[in-house]
Amino acid sequence: MINRITITSLFYKISLFLGLALVSGAAVSQKIEIDIEGGAVRGIPTAIVPFKVMNGPPPNTQALHEVVADDLRASGKFDPVPPQSFLSLPSRIEEVRYKDWRFINVEALVIGEIWTLGNDLYEVQFRIFDVARQTEIGEGIRIPNLSAATLRTAAHIVSDNVYSAFTGRPGAFNSRIAYIDEVISGGRPRYRLLVGDWDGFGSQEVYASWQPLLSPSWSADGSRLAFVAFTDKGSIVRVLETASGNATTVASFKGVNAAPSWSPDGSKLAYSTSRNGSPDVYIYDFNTQQHQRVTKHYAIDTEPAWSPNGQNLLFTSNRTGKPQIYRYDLSSQTINRITFEGNENANASYDYEGKRLVMVHLGGQIAVVNNQSDQVTPITVAKFDESPSFSPNGDMVLYATEERFEPLLRVASSDGRVRTTLKYVSGDVREPAWSPLRK
Amino acid sequence: MNRKLIITVLLSLVLTACASSKKSGSGESDNTGLGQDTSSGLVDNNAFGTGYSLDQLRALGIEGNPLDYKIVYFEYNSSSIDERSRIIVGAHARAVGGASVSLAGHADERGTRDFNLALGERRAQTVADLMSAEGASGSIQTISYGEERPVDPAHTDFAWKQNRRVEISY
Repeated sequence: MINRITITSLFYKISLFLGLALVSGAAVSQKIEIDIEGGAVRGIPTAIVPFKVMNGPPPNTQALHEVVADDLRASGKFDPVPPQSFLSLPSRIEEVRYKDWRFINVEALVIGEIWTLGNDLYEVQFRIFDVARQTEIGEGIRIPNLSAATLRTAAHIVSDNVYSAFTGRPGAFNSRIAYIDEVISGGRPRYRLLVGDWDGFGSQEVYASWQPLLSPSWSADGSRLAFVAFTDKGSIVRVLETASGNATTVASFKGVNAAPSWSPDGSKLAYSTSRNGSPDVYIYDFNTQQHQRVTKHYAIDTEPAWSPNGQNLLFTSNRTGKPQIYRYDLSSQTINRITFEGNENANASYDYEGKRLVMVHLGGQIAVVNNQSDQVTPITVAKFDESPSFSPNGDMVLYATEERFEPLLRVASSDGRVRTTLKYVSGDVREPAWSPLRK
Repeated sequence: MNRKLIITVLLSLVLTACASSKKSGSGESDNTGLGQDTSSGLVDNNAFGTGYSLDQLRALGIEGNPLDYKIVYFEYNSSSIDERSRIIVGAHARAVGGASVSLAGHADERGTRDFNLALGERRAQTVADLMSAEGASGSIQTISYGEERPVDPAHTDFAWKQNRRVEISY
């Protein structure tokens, strides 16, 4: 039996599907985490069989199995095996011979078909197998009503399902990123706010300015982006409705206005302003249209970030001399310093569970901090890494870096095992921010 | 209120420190000036009204008139004014009188962009406070571009030094 799902209601139906998948997924996941070979944790060897193109000309897009392999590899939890080593190319369940896959040490197997059903009308069907247990995980899934333009989205949905089936955690590949680039237009620098798939594919300009742009931040429902722009008087905080393209100014006080961050319910925006002389953290309430002061200190307080439960704010302050991360509790109105390791820490934000935070460590290295133990784990090695944000499932971190003077966006697995350069992003890029999951 | 008080105290500490270093500096030069007076008879210990001789200015990296310098530089992660910058800012403060001044603060690329916006403003604000203290009486506008507008985009100590700056215009 094949489950039929549509993209819009996919999330909920996949959850149902996962009700089945989780049973076997939980059993498998022990093997994943502790698999140690030559001292390094490895991912699950995974075969994504090239999807068979059924009754029609193949759509002119990147092969779906390559998109799936790129997704899974970037997570650090899967090691896709090159198709050249496959002994068979099944597309249906009755064609799967487990020993073909055991022979090449594959543990996770994905097969599928792309059906051409009309003019620019496609359907993707796929199945996931646990080779070691010789069983299918869950049941086959159909993704109908696809066009050439949305086939890639279907591939990300396949990846999310494979990810969930073997890790027991939600996938994050059907999500987007926002970032800034600087281009030369008519001899002048032009700054653009861009939005694309998580890997940068299909990036489109959503806002542009002749003055610098920075610090994009997604609302939890993914419908709005807050960011920093400039007027001739200085930096201001603006909010863009991505659907309509309407932008409004939230904070343009005298001095610096910067570093916006959405509350989890989308009703408030924390940001930093020096309206009273020194940069402090403020909260703007969209309902009351009031700006409430949160910190009062003569040092620099900036880069606020909400906890997922909305109860506290991380922020960066140099009140002890160098930038460090502090936590403000909104109910008790107390402030605690939370980073002590490393002489500089900045720009921290939580994962979706509030269990870890990611930050810029030692001025240019991305590090993950365990919220319970306060243990700091660097996940990159470069000196110029900045602007980190977790993927919506917390298992990857998007950040800006550079190599041989070329600015790049990269994704690291949250354990630092795998780092992937976003190949669909180029130019003078910076300030990436990972969106919430698509609803 | 408290914060203002603290800032005022800090600022006066900074200024006192500056002033005392200036005093000891000019005290020494007075002595050598006396000595030189007898041999050459002609040393201006108050070149361009700075309280320093030309040689002393040169030793601090100021060739000729301090007013020819429109940019002052800072140490990494710092908004403190060094002696050279204090001379330049002081000269501009006296020259500008009641006219309005614009100060643009900048940072090098190290550190996060939002933090550098704040740091650039802090630098511009420090220069603004010093200009007021040194006699500028018109309006002083500050703006921070953080690390967004580097003079030199290279990733070198030399470039970073050029980029940690406040630009004075009036």
